[in-house]
Amino acid sequence: MPPSAEILPGTLDMLILKAVSLTPLHGYGVLQRIKQISGDALDIPQGSLYPALYRLEHQELIEAEWGQSDNNRRAKYYRLTSAGRRRLRLETAGWNRLASAIALALNATGEER
Amino acid sequence: MRLLVGMRSLLRLLRHRPSFESNMDEELRFHIEEQAEEFLGQGMGREEALRRARLAMSDLNTVREECRGSRGLLLPGRVYGQCRYALRLLRKSPAFTTTALATIALCLGANLAIFAAVHSVLLRSLPFPKASRLVALYNTYPRAGVYRDGSSVANYYERRGGKIRAFRSASLYYAGSAILGNAGPPVRIPLLGVSPEFFSTVGIPLVAGRSFEEGEMDPGRDRVAVVSEDFRRSHWSSRREALGAAIRIDGVDRRVVGIAPENFRFLSSSAELIIPASSSPERRRSTERHSGGNVMQMVARLNDGVSLSEAQAQIDAQNAALETNDPSAKEMAAAGFRTAVVSLHADHVATIRPFLLSLQAGSVLLLLAGCLNLANLQLVRGAARVREVAVRRALGAGSGAIVSELITETTLLTLGGSAFGLVLGWFGTQWLRSLGAERLPLGSGISFDGMALAVAIGTALALSVLLGLPAALLPLRSDLQGALKSESRAGTISRPAQRFRYLLLAGQVAFAFVLLTCSALLGVSLKNALAVSPGFNASRSVTASISLVGNRYPNAQSGLLFTERAERELLRQPGVIAAGFATNIPFSGYSGKSAATVQGYVRHSSDSPHGHYSYGVAGDYFRAMGFSLKSGRFLDAADSRRHERVCVVDDDFARFYWPGRSALGQHLFPGSAAGPDSEAFTVVGVVAAVKQASLTDPERTGAVYFPFIYRPQNNLFVVVRGVASNLESSLERSLEDAIHRVDPGLAVTGKLPAQARIGASLEVRRSPAELGVLFSVIALLLTSVGTYGVVSYAAALRRREIGIRIALGARPSQIWGYFLGATVTWLTAGLLLGAGLLLLAAKAINSVLFGVHVMDPAALIACAAVVICLAVVACVAPLWRAGRLSPLETLSEN
Repeated sequence: MPPSAEILPGTLDMLILKAVSLTPLHGYGVLQRIKQISGDALDIPQGSLYPALYRLEHQELIEAEWGQSDNNRRAKYYRLTSAGRRRLRLETAGWNRLASAIALALNATGEER
Repeated sequence: MRLLVGMRSLLRLLRHRPSFESNMDEELRFHIEEQAEEFLGQGMGREEALRRARLAMSDLNTVREECRGSRGLLLPGRVYGQCRYALRLLRKSPAFTTTALATIALCLGANLAIFAAVHSVLLRSLPFPKASRLVALYNTYPRAGVYRDGSSVANYYERRGGKIRAFRSASLYYAGSAILGNAGPPVRIPLLGVSPEFFSTVGIPLVAGRSFEEGEMDPGRDRVAVVSEDFRRSHWSSRREALGAAIRIDGVDRRVVGIAPENFRFLSSSAELIIPASSSPERRRSTERHSGGNVMQMVARLNDGVSLSEAQAQIDAQNAALETNDPSAKEMAAAGFRTAVVSLHADHVATIRPFLLSLQAGSVLLLLAGCLNLANLQLVRGAARVREVAVRRALGAGSGAIVSELITETTLLTLGGSAFGLVLGWFGTQWLRSLGAERLPLGSGISFDGMALAVAIGTALALSVLLGLPAALLPLRSDLQGALKSESRAGTISRPAQRFRYLLLAGQVAFAFVLLTCSALLGVSLKNALAVSPGFNASRSVTASISLVGNRYPNAQSGLLFTERAERELLRQPGVIAAGFATNIPFSGYSGKSAATVQGYVRHSSDSPHGHYSYGVAGDYFRAMGFSLKSGRFLDAADSRRHERVCVVDDDFARFYWPGRSALGQHLFPGSAAGPDSEAFTVVGVVAAVKQASLTDPERTGAVYFPFIYRPQNNLFVVVRGVASNLESSLERSLEDAIHRVDPGLAVTGKLPAQARIGASLEVRRSPAELGVLFSVIALLLTSVGTYGVVSYAAALRRREIGIRIALGARPSQIWGYFLGATVTWLTAGLLLGAGLLLLAAKAINSVLFGVHVMDPAALIACAAVVICLAVVACVAPLWRAGRLSPLETLSEN
């Protein structure tokens, strides 16, 4: 297993939005999905997952519905709302800008010298 | 916008709260089980998998908390969650919860009820506009034993109408009673006599008509009256009809000139009839300025910006100026004469103040004891949770969350207890009201109002914080590792914590001890007072008062004639063996004193003149009242008809003026000056001194009794003595019948056995003593509970240590001794602290005691013994369990 990276502050919400944008997921599923799509590199602290889910639900970026899990148990499934989809697009764009800017900055060579 | 979202979800929450909580729990459970499934798949055991899954989630309570917070509902959500949690914990320990609720309810209820009385009577200002500007004036002659002599008519005329610059207005009044109308059975109703400026002075404007005029203060021209609106309504259909209407008061027709507002009430007087306080020119002379007799009173309103001391200074200056040409000035100065100017409110509540304050002090002590007890129980509970708290903190729970949890618990407890306390307080107020509405100066106004409620809520909140804080802080302070290790494994407990618990216990013991001792001392005082002989044999006498009013009693002769006929009639009643009349009787509630001049007695210049009780008697008064004769003879009915002037003195009087000599045959004059020898009264008898005002009267005042004709008065007491003591009710009936046979127009009021009058005079000692006993019992119970709690906790914490000791051969008695030693040490500390508190308050406490001192060794030792016994009894059960611990069990527990 590759060493898992600490997630940056403020990025958890974005990752959750991304995870549930593909298909409705229950909380544990969100955890698995983030692990999976990050290639096992990101490990979400379980204690902060649910507060984040509740926060996003409260902001009406995701909505929840009770359904059946794979093993036939009642589970709460989260899905993206249209507001959530807009937010995800914005956040993704913002993150990409930031990441490329940081990458650019870090890759800069000593031309000025 | 955000606010709107918040509001919406708050509404949603309130509607769906239970489902929100259960949904959240279900979701989190699902998560943990899914996680456990995965661990199972990795080849872990079921138990291990679940454990790891829970660990991954960290502190579940914190997660829940944050989830609630994420919904933007931190406060209501948190409060709701914590209340639920606290309620669950409280339900789990019913004994603690019940004790706590009962303690708070009792302590708060007692305080509330008494505070309502204190507030209504002592704190709330009198119901007049700018009541703080009203002052009472009264003459006092302390060195003659006359502390309050009211004001004389002369005083009023020399102080009114701007003569004292400090007063905006000054007014004269007296409270009396009168018979209304002339048809039907005569009934006495309360009445107020006032000077013209009375209504403007106290600030009660009339609702119709006018107040009295200057000319209406002269006898003969005073046939006018003011009635209250309530009185008007029950007699006339309209105000117009009432004004100018005639009304017969005490057989005299008066014209209604004014109407006072509804519910008119001046201090203790509920008079609905007000008449002019008229006076003859003789009574207005300055030579009459010392003849107050505590009937006439003065009330004045201070000018704005004038202080009480300025008014006092002006009155003092005026007195000094007037005394320069007064022949009796020297004598009055020797008697310590001065005129006191005091706030009307303070004057009005002066007698009830110590009584109410001592009750309040007692209930505050009870509250303190209760608080310490609860704090202690909370600490014991808190300590039991130290490990739980430590574990949760290790898992990441914030200390804020834990503190607020504990505070929530105590807040719930105090609020619940306070709710019960409010109910109890309300009942207590009703009880206090029924107990002494008439005896409390402003008693009719005792109410459970906003102020009392505010104090209740404030006290409750302060209590919850006070109780919650130590319990909440203690587990937090102890370091995690220490807590996890020490209280469980090493078998020793954190010493500061246990010391603190014992300290609280000691404080509680101190308060309980103070309460117990005070009520014991009050009880002893009551017993001492009861043991004092009133000086007469009251057991078979019945008393009543009558007032000889109307045209049939124009002079002393007619009064005398009435007493003679009434005595004959009374003696004809079955069971009556003696009947008599007096202008005042013991325990009547009146105790005016006057001067007497003894022939041949020269007062040393250092001595002050003495005030004596000086009454007129008719019929066979002394035998009827049960006086005992020391020498000579009693006065009898014939003495009023004899040419020789005779009198009877009591042995205090005799001992004062003729020490070591016989009083019989000596001569004296009523008043402060000797007259011609022909007017001297010869002492023909000496009777035993009787108590006049109360059994605890400290002074030997001395009394002179004159034949009625020489000291006539229209207000009379009638006394009959029966052959046996169980005839009281039939005696009361016969008394009234006989009087009515002589004059059917007379009202017979205040029919009371003489013994009942004595009993009533002790009420002011009895009720604090009884309440004190109640409070002490509660405080002692609380102390027992506290002791039990602390000791059983100490024993529980040391189970391991005790197990080791027993394993090493310690006998149960040694274990017991070990714990008892610590408990007794702290008990002693508490008792010493209590004794210190008693010493500090010694002066205040002594002032309400009678015949016993606050440091009475017997009372102190007995009370200390009671406290110690109770505490030791409370230790028995936990120690018995400790001594019988099986070492095997305790040592294998961890």
